[in-house]
Amino acid sequence: MRNRLIRLLAAPLIALVGLVALAGPAAASGESVGACMAHVLEHEAHGELDEHLLHDEAVQDELEKCFSAPNPILPEVNEIIWGGAAFLILLVVMVKKGFPAVQGAMDARAARIAADLDEADQAKQDAQSVKADYEARLADAKAEASRLIDEARADAERVRADLVARAEADAAGIRERAAGEADAAKAQAIADLRAEVSSIALGAAERVVQSSLDAEVQGNLIDAYIDEVAGANG
Amino acid sequence: MADAAVAGYAEALLAVAAAEGDLSAVEDELFSVAQAFRSNDELRSTLADGDVPAARRLQVVDDLLDGRASATTSALVSMVVGAGRASELPAIVDAFLERSAASRNKAVATVRAAVDLTADQRVRLAAAIKTATGKDVEVRVVEDPSVLGGVVTEIGDDIIDGSVRRRLNQLRESFR
Repeated sequence: MRNRLIRLLAAPLIALVGLVALAGPAAASGESVGACMAHVLEHEAHGELDEHLLHDEAVQDELEKCFSAPNPILPEVNEIIWGGAAFLILLVVMVKKGFPAVQGAMDARAARIAADLDEADQAKQDAQSVKADYEARLADAKAEASRLIDEARADAERVRADLVARAEADAAGIRERAAGEADAAKAQAIADLRAEVSSIALGAAERVVQSSLDAEVQGNLIDAYIDEVAGANG
Repeated sequence: MADAAVAGYAEALLAVAAAEGDLSAVEDELFSVAQAFRSNDELRSTLADGDVPAARRLQVVDDLLDGRASATTSALVSMVVGAGRASELPAIVDAFLERSAASRNKAVATVRAAVDLTADQRVRLAAAIKTATGKDVEVRVVEDPSVLGGVVTEIGDDIIDGSVRRRLNQLRESFR
């Protein structure tokens, strides 16, 4: 509203400034120097133009005036009338036609700007919505990733525990088998050694016995056997 | 079947030996042949080999017994070998001896010793066995160096082992 009032007052003010500024040239261009001098001479000669007249100081002063500029401020009356009428016509046309058109264009531009602003707000809201959605998805993705990491970590821990338990069981089995094998090897070595020793001892004993079994000893052994058999039932 | 054959041949040997009238000598000679047969793997495999012709086997028997056994013994061994029963000859001789002894109400005591027993030792051993088992036995000695010393007596399924070898084996077992 305030802008509209300023625009209404600005139009006549601009017109008045134009009138004052353009009045001088309009008046100066209304009568030439020659016409002015002819008009002075015709007025002073009274029908009889001679060379004395040109030497009259009064006439020369009047002629000198023809060389001076007219009033630059005040135009001729008829120009004021025509100019004012034209101004009024132009003002009416401007007020009736130009101003509404300008007003409409400005309103349309304001509406377009407002629409653009609304559209920008809507785009901003959409962008914020997209951003919120993106952030929500990002949060979900982060939560999912965290859950997967936790599950993977738990699986890894379980696998590690299984492997450790299996390795410990295997190691215990290996130790047990090794101990059993060591005991068996030890027992076998002792048995082998004992068999070897007994074989050597028995071989030596057999050789001693064979060397000592002469005919007399053999006869004595047979006699002893016969006595033993005879005494078995006695 | 094999037992029946062994028994049949044993009966035949006993009948022939009794008919020839020299049963005691035939018993001793057949016992010696059987022991030689048991202890000599080459002799046993040769006489028991079916691929060797019967004439060749009988020739081996003749070479083996010529001058060492009576004609009756040679004929009986040749009969068994010629019939392809050489592998069963020891069992046939054992059955023959058991039947022969049984005909005199006695059993056979097979005595294995490193050295031969004297006549006195044989008599005393037979008396001792009778005392121990209540059986009258005929002692037949087999010289077996593996006995080392002492005596091992077998009467049927009964064994009386008083050998040095047994004592050494007992000593060996005690070491284990």
